[in-house]
Amino acid sequence: MEVESSFGPIDIAISGLRAQGKQLKVISSNIANARTSDAGNGEPYRRLQAEFKTDSDLGGVKLDKIVTDMSEFLRILDPGNPMADESGYVAMPNVSLPVEMINLNIATKMYQANVAVLRRYQQMIETTLELLR
Amino acid sequence: MIDVNTNITGPLNSMRPGAGTDSLGIPKIGISDGKKSGFANTIKAAKNYISEVDDLQQSSDVSIQDLLSGKNEDITSVVSAVAKADMSFKLLVGVRNKLIEAYKQTMNMQL
Repeated sequence: MEVESSFGPIDIAISGLRAQGKQLKVISSNIANARTSDAGNGEPYRRLQAEFKTDSDLGGVKLDKIVTDMSEFLRILDPGNPMADESGYVAMPNVSLPVEMINLNIATKMYQANVAVLRRYQQMIETTLELLR
Repeated sequence: MIDVNTNITGPLNSMRPGAGTDSLGIPKIGISDGKKSGFANTIKAAKNYISEVDDLQQSSDVSIQDLLSGKNEDITSVVSAVAKADMSFKLLVGVRNKLIEAYKQTMNMQL
């Protein structure tokens, strides 16, 4: 048996930390681009969403893929804008700030939960090692 | 999948002097190869564990240095390396204290 065998919970909690870090990255990209009317391909920025999957050999979590949200763009009336169409509407990204804020809260809490697991496991190990004293 | 059987004495298994374990993971005492486990054997096995602990310490040192020199920007890997090194070092210190205590008690025995 290797030393690694008692480190399972640590690796799993760390994988959770990494996953929530990626989630945070996606959310910050969405918020930063909430008003990007040109994402470089001629259409507004499309909202990104992180999908996670179970890491089969570790039991932790890992980023599966980042998918784009294909829902309708927001259309706002701004006739003075050079990018407005003939009826005066400008297409804006399909990012909804309230949704992103809620996702941000969830990601933060998930991160904290993983840190709590890590800390609690370390405390458990220390409690066991007290038996040696 | 998850190794559900995460016993914290996992690292200690390297210290068991060739006696093997029963189904519950409890070490059998000096049966399988006919040799009794002696204090010297335990000390020898402890050497292996020390080198394993040292490896973990080195890797945590390297990851801290990589973080500080900007080579690696992943804080979580540093945290994981440091946590592992810390845990195994605490176990090593506990076992060492116990061994030295046993040695002293034996030496103080009235003959």
